[in-house]
Amino acid sequence: MSIGRIAIPPPLAAVLLAIVLFLLSGLLPNGFGSNPDIAASQATNIIRLAVFLGIVAAGQTLVIISGAEGIDLSAGAVVTLSAIVTYSIVNGNNENVLLALPAALIVGAAVGFVNGLGVTYLRIAPLVMTLGMAGVVTGLIIVITQGSVTGAVAPVMTQVIARPLVLGIPGAILIWAVFGALMWFLLQRTTYGKNLFAVGTNRITSRLSGVNVTGMVVGTYALAGMLAGLAGFLVVGNTGVVHIRIGDPFLFPSIAAVAVGGTLLTGGKGSYWGTMAGALVLTLITSLLTTMQMPESVRRMVLGGTLLIMISIYGRQRGLRQ
Amino acid sequence: MTISLSARNVAKRYGAVTALSDANLDIRSGEVLALIGANGSGKSTLSKIINGVVVLDGGQLLVDDRPVHFQSPHAAKSLGISTVFQELSLVPQMTVAENIFLTREPLRGGLVDRGAVRQKTEQLLALFAGMFKTDLTPDTPVGPLPPDEKQIIEILKAVSFNPRLLILDEATASLDSRQVQRLFELVVRWKEEGKAIVFVSHRMEEIFQIADRYTVLRNGATVGEGPMQGVTTRDLVGMMVAGVTAENVVHRARPTAEELAARKVTLDVKDLRAEAVHGVSFQLHEGELLGLGGLRGQGQHQLLLALFGDIRHSGNITIDVTPVHFTHPRQAMENRLALVPGERAKEGLLLIRSILENFLIPSWRRYGFPLRIGKARQEATNVSMSLNLKMAGLDAPVSSLSGGNAQKVVIGKWLLRNPRILMLDDPTKGIDVGAKAEFYKLLAQLCGEGKSVLLYSSDDEELIGLSDRVLVMHDGSIRTELIGESLTKSNLVAASLGATQEALP
Amino acid sequence: MIRHSWRRLTNQNRIPFALVLLAVVLLVNFMLQPNLLEPATMNSSMRIFLPLILVAVGQTIVILAGGIDISAGAIVSITNAILATQIGTRGDTGTAMLMMLAVLFVGMAAGAVNGFFVAILRLQPIITTYATSFLFGGLALLILPSPGGGMPSTFTSFYRETRPLGIPLAFFIIALIMLAWYGIRQTRYGRYLFAVGGNADAAYQTGVPVNMVQFSTYMISGLMAAFGGIAITLLTGSGNAQIGDSLTLAAITAVVIGGTALSGGSGTIAGAIIGAIILSLLPNLISFANIETWWQTFLNAAIIVIALALPGFMNLLRRRRT
Repeated sequence: MSIGRIAIPPPLAAVLLAIVLFLLSGLLPNGFGSNPDIAASQATNIIRLAVFLGIVAAGQTLVIISGAEGIDLSAGAVVTLSAIVTYSIVNGNNENVLLALPAALIVGAAVGFVNGLGVTYLRIAPLVMTLGMAGVVTGLIIVITQGSVTGAVAPVMTQVIARPLVLGIPGAILIWAVFGALMWFLLQRTTYGKNLFAVGTNRITSRLSGVNVTGMVVGTYALAGMLAGLAGFLVVGNTGVVHIRIGDPFLFPSIAAVAVGGTLLTGGKGSYWGTMAGALVLTLITSLLTTMQMPESVRRMVLGGTLLIMISIYGRQRGLRQ
Repeated sequence: MTISLSARNVAKRYGAVTALSDANLDIRSGEVLALIGANGSGKSTLSKIINGVVVLDGGQLLVDDRPVHFQSPHAAKSLGISTVFQELSLVPQMTVAENIFLTREPLRGGLVDRGAVRQKTEQLLALFAGMFKTDLTPDTPVGPLPPDEKQIIEILKAVSFNPRLLILDEATASLDSRQVQRLFELVVRWKEEGKAIVFVSHRMEEIFQIADRYTVLRNGATVGEGPMQGVTTRDLVGMMVAGVTAENVVHRARPTAEELAARKVTLDVKDLRAEAVHGVSFQLHEGELLGLGGLRGQGQHQLLLALFGDIRHSGNITIDVTPVHFTHPRQAMENRLALVPGERAKEGLLLIRSILENFLIPSWRRYGFPLRIGKARQEATNVSMSLNLKMAGLDAPVSSLSGGNAQKVVIGKWLLRNPRILMLDDPTKGIDVGAKAEFYKLLAQLCGEGKSVLLYSSDDEELIGLSDRVLVMHDGSIRTELIGESLTKSNLVAASLGATQEALP
Repeated sequence: MIRHSWRRLTNQNRIPFALVLLAVVLLVNFMLQPNLLEPATMNSSMRIFLPLILVAVGQTIVILAGGIDISAGAIVSITNAILATQIGTRGDTGTAMLMMLAVLFVGMAAGAVNGFFVAILRLQPIITTYATSFLFGGLALLILPSPGGGMPSTFTSFYRETRPLGIPLAFFIIALIMLAWYGIRQTRYGRYLFAVGGNADAAYQTGVPVNMVQFSTYMISGLMAAFGGIAITLLTGSGNAQIGDSLTLAAITAVVIGGTALSGGSGTIAGAIIGAIILSLLPNLISFANIETWWQTFLNAAIIVIALALPGFMNLLRRRRT
């Protein structure tokens, strides 16, 4: 985005947008007004809510960067599935947490792996493939739960994720900070990250430069699934209860968050910290709408409109005239 | 029906590259004009200016003595100018009839009159009756047809406009001799009907058979024109190549055949077959710069891709003494092969990424975990300096570079890996003269270091000037080997046009 | 030899392939449900299948011209919401007729929104129509926040029970569509559809108005989705703002089963209709095969993914063998 001759990088624009939205929310009748203490706790709360969206959107960021209309519409269903897996494995016991975490990750990675095989070897459009897999995973959830989710959250999970951990900052936010650093490291300081940007920019060039494009794409979908699995695990710790649609509300905002964060929807360019800012913006929009007592319908339209505006800014295709 | 068209002092630049500087051409009804010139002389650009695909930068185009400015191919068509493109404009899923009459379907009561379309198509197909290997009907889908039949349909599509001026841009390149003869009979008929025909071709014998007059282009300028009567192939080839001073070409001491044979063989290829490559065998020696010549599209591109493991192939390939069969470019790369591909933007660069990342795509693995970015940047800096790369900085997007500098990045990414065998697919296409000279020096230097270079170039001068030896490809196989005394421009041109080894002096 | 004929069967004659599939599904279905082909059963089946058939027909036209419409299901939902709220179970005939006419324009307007972003602004079709699906879905929810409303029973029973000459109404509608499509194929516009989807650059060079053709396909898809919305409202006699959600992927799958290439340029309406019938018969089959209800969602979704994978899978085998 550029205003006149001053160019603002999209992630920074997203952060500024988040701040403006937050300040605006203070002006609402039941906002924080001019009380800094309430404002601070409200800000903390918003960020804590943004964490889960932010982690779902991390996987989304990776598949979108990988290009070729990459997207993961199964993320919502995977969050639900891994939340249920976590919930039933943990079953109230702290000792089982160490078993539940890898299980949640593996379940997510497995779904992502199938997505990856579908979009590479079978050449199914990613949106169609992952939408189909969302249905399969939802079906699987019904088979597993037979309509009722049983289990319980472990005290240690609630303690670490939902409660203030250090200096009054909730554990989830600390986890997100570490996670964000790891994502930066993955994208900027590993061969995988460098190859991911290459594959997303131009697959022919990448292949002719020795990058295993198919392997990269399959791996990226699997990793995205795994991150959705991680989000499911964390969501359980935050809410303490699980229902069979718990992951659905994360799906569309996760894509919008990536777009708001300035990641090119055509692939090859983007950052996770942009997505983090995007997740904050979307969480703010959602909570603003909730504060204003807007119904679900308006929320959907605002989300759809936000994404549409972002595509219009970043997603133009080449014209026909040469 | 009559038409006259003149191009006056036409100029066209693409960035720093001048495609045309002073092109002139005159044609009128009832004549066939041969537009000739060596590869890269500007023939295609000039014909694209005449049919409105390319907009000229300078000079003037006159139709019926009135200046015209074509904004689109459509504008040229409405004046009766129709083109047979070398890159076909057919929709593969549609039938022959549907393709020929697309946008001009005869209507009856608002609906496409299929009977009329079929009938008109049959009339057009009848022009080439007996020339099709498949049982072609108006309802045959175009997609699976062989290239020659697609080309004929493209010709019929252009003719179906009933144009006043018809441009045949290398339209005979994929036709066999019978089909060419039929086309010529038709051209004669069209000429008598009062059409004007511009015939762009590499094939001398065809030019002498069909053309009434010629216009010769060299380096983007018209250097000769006149009636065909009284000129010889020698004269024309002379105009195409004469006056060439190879000042920007590095002359190295060429090894003799014996000296080459004494050197170590680094790459030994036997009976390589792939798409468009029909059994190619050759040896590449240490420190040798081996040229691949021939007209465009004779399998050179696929040969290089097959050697690099990018496309399916069969045959025996030996590097040093080890037999290899690469199924992915990564394997070729690990055996210290490198390929500078033909389409720089599509195959060689990551346009929206930084220069640094473009240098390092094949090499990231070497910098460990976590990546030692500092070391990577240092090495990229060294290469960019040794290549004399002109850039704002390593973090600038590679799309900000000029053609020549961008090509240096493509080569630089391989130099970072210190390859032993460097393959290049028409690397100086669209590069300005200064950068070319630097580039030639670089290739000479690499050979001097003992690396082997396999170079395909569509620029004949370049091949002659640089290569120790040139293999001329024709229709997917090596037709001729030029070395020592026989490595001359006229031999290369003759061999490209299909002359065999024996026919050369 | 066998390979050659298999190739021809699957590649050149996609409709016969779909027909064979249909015959198999019908046969199995017939064994499980012997009264399947009785006029009454057939009527009750076809009236359920019709909405999907209508949406699939619209989707085929978009896909033929090289696009895709992820928002078709949401347009169905809008029209359903409008009809159910504006007519109601006690609405008079005049209002009902007027509203049914009105929703057709609503459908086309929604299609025009898609067309504007995709064909005029040249945004990527998949992600754009995904965004507009939220816009339209939100609108449907705004009109009808919770399921309710309805249609007068005169209309619903007309839809459900009309059998001119003893033949289900749906067959007449299908015949009408086939006739209209046959007509369209005889026009220049029909040719343009295939040219644009087959090779947009060549079409542009030849002088086909590529943008306008693409724009029009989204309007047609919107119109067909509106017809689908009318059919589903008459079928259920009630309103539900999320009723169309599952139709989008099902319609795309029907198009794929029917032999239309997702890359555009080749395909048929008849194939899509057959595909929609196959896809609609499968749940029938599952419910008659005494499979536990818990498995039904999963099996339906799995069938969709397998159907989507089929063309790619056959391609993979073909590439492996040559």
